[in-house]
Amino acid sequence: MDSTQSWIVVLGLALGTFLIRYSFIGLFANRDMPPWLEHSLKLMVPAIFAAIVFSGVMMVNGQVAGLALWPRYAAAATAAVIALSTSGNMLVTVAAGMATLHGLPWLVAHL
Amino acid sequence: MHSPGARTAFWVGVREAVIVVPSYLPFALVCGVASVNAGLTTGAALALPALVFAGSSQAVLTQFIQNSASLWVAILSGCVINLRMAVYSAALSAKVRSFSTGQRMLIAAFLVDNSFAFMQKREEENPTDPHIIAYYAGLTAVFWPTWLVFCAIGIFAGNIVPTSWQLEFAVPLSFIAIAATSIRSLPTAAAAVVGGAASVLLFSLPLKLGLIAACLFGLMAGLISEKGARLWTARKAG
Repeated sequence: MDSTQSWIVVLGLALGTFLIRYSFIGLFANRDMPPWLEHSLKLMVPAIFAAIVFSGVMMVNGQVAGLALWPRYAAAATAAVIALSTSGNMLVTVAAGMATLHGLPWLVAHL
Repeated sequence: MHSPGARTAFWVGVREAVIVVPSYLPFALVCGVASVNAGLTTGAALALPALVFAGSSQAVLTQFIQNSASLWVAILSGCVINLRMAVYSAALSAKVRSFSTGQRMLIAAFLVDNSFAFMQKREEENPTDPHIIAYYAGLTAVFWPTWLVFCAIGIFAGNIVPTSWQLEFAVPLSFIAIAATSIRSLPTAAAAVVGGAASVLLFSLPLKLGLIAACLFGLMAGLISEKGARLWTARKAG
């Protein structure tokens, strides 16, 4: 990725995000957001974050991670339990997941 | 910002933001590390948190670059992640009627999940607070520079961390924390499960459009399960 490409993606996302943020504050300031749109956008949030989680955990180099990569699944499962029981505490969730990712294979190898 | 009430609200915002801001450090570090590892130049990597100022879309943008998606699909996917901010924008629009266009642009530019959640909490306590925007300015005065510095630490110190630590795995892990807070009902759970499954099944869609497609499938699942729940309760009542 060269310098021009780097700046294109960063400025492109910055502009797009600004337009979303400015949408009802400025662009459509005199209009209310239609209820169906607000409702759909709220439902999209869990869908998109789960999509990032599943593809991030299960896909490695474009392939589904096999059972040989079980620590990834164990780490994600641990993180999910911690996240649900701490109502989404990010620090604890990430720490527990990373500890499982590295600690569990180590334990299995040394027991 | 000229009345004493506004000044007080501003400093309340600063104080409340300072308390929570350290908890954003790990995610910012991960975002910073990921952006340089994906191949962004240092300048662009620093501009990313400064101008976009939304961690999840920063992480997704860099993930797409790393998977060598086309630049446009990377930008589009990042924007889809941020579509939820339109809801925040709509919620704020009634409160910014008295501000000029320039001021509104400034208010819009820094709108993020955290500050919106804080404003909502303050509104619950005081629904007619005239200084809510001053309070928001106080939050932003802490959140934005700190986010930038935290990400910069990741950008400059990221290479010190050995790759065997698999630090990039912290990205999906941090999204688990975010997803957990958004699942509150059967429809949101259905949206999450279907969106997640679809992202794996549709991973090899051309142009890496799988994430956007998965998001739409998840949305459909959420809407259908809502409709189903309504029919179910209607039938039981009838």
